[in-house]
Amino acid sequence: MKEELIKIEELIGNFDNIEKSDIKDLMQRLFSKLGNRLEKYVGDYPTFIEPVYLEDNVKIGDDVLLGPNVYIGANSEIQDYVEMSNTIIFENVIIGENFKLENCVVAKGSSFKFNNLNMKNSVLIGETKSKDELQSKKF
Amino acid sequence: MPIDKEKEIERIKEVESINLAREEIRDEVIETKKAVEKDNELLANRVHQKFKDNNIKSFDIVGAIGAGKTALLEKIIEKISSQYRTLVICGDITTRVDADRIEKHKAETVQINTGRECALNAYHIHQIIKNKDLNNYDLVFIENVGNLICPSDFILGTDKRLIVVSTTEGEWVVEKHPMLFKMSDIAVINKIDLKERLGTDVDKMISDAKKINLKIEVITTSAKTGENIEKLMNLMGL
Repeated sequence: MKEELIKIEELIGNFDNIEKSDIKDLMQRLFSKLGNRLEKYVGDYPTFIEPVYLEDNVKIGDDVLLGPNVYIGANSEIQDYVEMSNTIIFENVIIGENFKLENCVVAKGSSFKFNNLNMKNSVLIGETKSKDELQSKKF
Repeated sequence: MPIDKEKEIERIKEVESINLAREEIRDEVIETKKAVEKDNELLANRVHQKFKDNNIKSFDIVGAIGAGKTALLEKIIEKISSQYRTLVICGDITTRVDADRIEKHKAETVQINTGRECALNAYHIHQIIKNKDLNNYDLVFIENVGNLICPSDFILGTDKRLIVVSTTEGEWVVEKHPMLFKMSDIAVINKIDLKERLGTDVDKMISDAKKINLKIEVITTSAKTGENIEKLMNLMGL
């Protein structure tokens, strides 16, 4: 699993070439190996559809649905009413309220401090308080 | 819609009572509730179609905590795992205890932890099956979250729904939970091996179930001794 995560992180570093990359295959490979790790999050009983793998100190808000196939890196924060499946969130990320992410990757350190976003098949990156400033790339 | 209004609707949906809605948003809350019910039904139909397209037999198993849903499933899967490729979706508010028990009998499992929700809904099931190649299965069992109330709000799109109660819950358990008996195809009264010791009036339970739902098939079983498990499987067409 670590191997795929490292490769995916390398790929999203080269943001403009995402579309042509093999990110989809890598994500599939990662999800096929993904186990559950639900012991170390901070929050109040979200809904999990396995597999969901949470690194240490992930903060999860109310009415959140995670899975299937979700990896969340350490110290990331998922706010209320978020739903995500087939998605990778790297460490130290903030996902705002009522985001719906399907088949997405969010780069390390990204911070989306706004509400209501629905995205599919995309890499998301940046530190922003508004939807208009969000950097995203479809794949 | 402003976030605070959205939150209020969300809160009301959680407690499932429109009576709590402020007068000025009552209409909106009712419309939202109707839309949610309709969406569940549409998704359940889609789930059912996908099962049918892949020749999968499917069952939703509901019942109170400790009635023996998992124990019955273990007995059934033990007998059929070499014959049918089986997927079992287990619903619990937390843990994967049930999925681990079932996996020992060589069925594939997916655990859903519903957190603070007291029933599975068609969206949960749809999320799972859209990530699976359904060609790989002949049978799908969905073991719902253990209680006799909330699952009546959500159909899941299975061929049949089984309701499991047991002699330990007392002879009033059926008449106290009519809605789920109305919506089920087979009623299983489990732990029949304890009937004499507990003095439970099983005949009353059977006649209550029949009164509530004329079409329901009722069977008494013991997952512990194996009594009537084969008969139950016949009723399920296995």
